[in-house]
Amino acid sequence: MADQANFETDALQYSRQLYSAAMRMTRNSADAEDLVQETYLKAYRAYHTFEAGTNLKAWLYRILTNTYINKYRKDSRRPTEVDLGTVEDLYLYRRLGSQESAEAARTTEDRVLDGLVESDIKSAVEELPETFRMPVLLADLEGFAYKEIAEILDIPIGTVMSRLHRGRKAMQKRLWEFAKQRGLLPEDAERP
Amino acid sequence: MSRECDEALTDLYTYLDAELDTASNAKIKAHLDECPGCEASFDFEGRLRTVVKARLNEDVPDSFVSKLKEALADEADCPPE
Repeated sequence: MADQANFETDALQYSRQLYSAAMRMTRNSADAEDLVQETYLKAYRAYHTFEAGTNLKAWLYRILTNTYINKYRKDSRRPTEVDLGTVEDLYLYRRLGSQESAEAARTTEDRVLDGLVESDIKSAVEELPETFRMPVLLADLEGFAYKEIAEILDIPIGTVMSRLHRGRKAMQKRLWEFAKQRGLLPEDAERP
Repeated sequence: MSRECDEALTDLYTYLDAELDTASNAKIKAHLDECPGCEASFDFEGRLRTVVKARLNEDVPDSFVSKLKEALADEADCPPE
């Protein structure tokens, strides 16, 4: 059992990370601030139920996720399975064009990785259907393990893995489109 | 693409997520050591992941953390009901 008096010291250290995740969920700063604040108030009130010594960060993310789902997704109850279509593995990598040497390949890779700006990456994540966006955020932004993501989202580990896999591939497809728009790809990169 | 390459690709994300068991992890490592093609693609995926993480982080408004503290202090002073 955790002591409410320690809540601020224990929990506030995660507020910046929670805010980043909330921004990708709500897509605007006013809602993100509200969401994080509500998360902290709920967590504070329930802190006596938190088992000290277990994963506080994951516990906070669970509250954040549930609050988001209840508050901002009133119209659709549980998310339905969305078909992202089939996207092959290494989607982006295989579309960087044929290269004459390892150095040339590396140059193209660097140009694409440096040239994809913050707004490209954020859009690619935000455009993912929620079912896929949540696991991708929890894994790629927060670095949670599969088991933790399964607990936060209350889904089986196998589902976490398949949603992550499909979500990341869909994201790569979008990033490739941004790279193309920005002229980061070589002429011959249209087909792998 | 050999059968080993296909197998490595299947485990790409699990490997990068450090979620493979020790034996499978060692098998992929050994394959990457001897297959420059897979090594290059795994390396790109790893670097892409670093870029994604770095650019998803958000600058938190300075006022936000103090607002949070105030809200928590209010809650502690006069809890609802």
